[in-house]
Amino acid sequence: MDTSPHLARAQWMSLLAQSDPAELAAAMDGFAPPADLTWLRPAQTGLYMLRGRVGGTGPQFNFGEMTVTRCSVQAGDHIGHAWVRGSNARHAELAALADALLQDGEQNPSLCRDVIEPLRRALHRRRDEASRKAAASKVEFFTVVRGE
Amino acid sequence: MMLSAFANPVFDSQRNFRELLQAMARPAAPRELPVLPPSPAPIAPAAMAILLTLCDATTSVWLQQPQPTAVDHLRFHAGLKLAERPEDADFALITDPTSMPPLDAFARGDLRYPDRSASVIVQVAGFGASHGAGKFSGPGIRDVETLAIEGLPHGFWQQRAELASQLPLGVDLYFVAAHQVVGLPRTTRWLEG
Repeated sequence: MDTSPHLARAQWMSLLAQSDPAELAAAMDGFAPPADLTWLRPAQTGLYMLRGRVGGTGPQFNFGEMTVTRCSVQAGDHIGHAWVRGSNARHAELAALADALLQDGEQNPSLCRDVIEPLRRALHRRRDEASRKAAASKVEFFTVVRGE
Repeated sequence: MMLSAFANPVFDSQRNFRELLQAMARPAAPRELPVLPPSPAPIAPAAMAILLTLCDATTSVWLQQPQPTAVDHLRFHAGLKLAERPEDADFALITDPTSMPPLDAFARGDLRYPDRSASVIVQVAGFGASHGAGKFSGPGIRDVETLAIEGLPHGFWQQRAELASQLPLGVDLYFVAAHQVVGLPRTTRWLEG
C-alpha cells in the first residue's frame, strides 16, 4: 500500500465500497461504534448519471444511471464518508463508520488487520474466480488469425 | 466538529417551504418555522433552515460573515456556491444587520427578468407589534399590518422605499428571529414608523 495518507484513504474507501455487505458487517462486528457518533448525513439513496466513452473514442455521453447510497458520519474528530453501489443503507453506514475509525491513528492498525485485509482477500478471490470462469469459457476460433 | 442538518431532509424542508410560501403570501406577519436544524455560529438556526430549504448547487449565496465552520457546513449540507460579491448572489445572509451593506448592493434583476434578483435573509433581534412599530400594506395584507422589526440599521426603511420606485425590480426580504420568520416581498409598502 502506498504511504501517502490520501491515497491510502482512497484505497480503503474503494475497498469498503466494493466489499460484500455481509462480509463487511461480520468484520465490523468486533468494533463497537464510539459513543459520540453523529450521523451528519443519514444514509440516502439516489441516482448518479454515469458518463463515458463507451467505444473508447469520440465524445463522452450519458450512458446510464446508477443507484448509489451515500452516508457521512462523525466519530470523535474524524468524519467518515461512503458512497456505495445499490440501495443497501446498512452497507453505506458501515463503510462510513469504518472510514471514520480508520482515520484514527490508534484504531487504524487493528481495523486494517481485522477488516481491510480480509475484505481485500475476499475481493481478490471473487475477481480471481470471475476471471477463471471467463477464461474457462474462452473459445478459440482457428479460422481467425489473432494479432499475437 | 461538524453539525448535522435536517433529520429528515425531504420532509423537513418541505414543511419549512410551506411556511416560507405562506410568509411571503402574508407579508409582515410572523410565522413559526416548524423544523430548526443545528447551526454553527454566526448563523441562526432559523436562517439555516431557510438556506437548507431554498438553496442547492444551482443557487449562489453571499454570506456577510463567512466563518470557515459556517462555510464548510453549508457546502457540505446544501452543496451551494458562495458568491464573492453581494451583487452576484441569489441569496444573501445578513448575520449582523448593523453593519449590513445598503440594499441597493444586491441584485435587483433586470426588466426582462425581474426574478433574477436577490432574496436577502436578515437575522434580527426580534419582532414586536406595539413599541416603535411600522405599518405595512400591499398585496396579501388586508388594510394595514403593524409590526416592529428590532435591530435594523438606521436608514434601512428609507433605502427600501427608494427601491420601491423601481418595481418590478427589487429585493425580497426574509427576517428571522428565534424560531420565527417574516416575509417582506418587494411589493409590500412601508407606510411609516
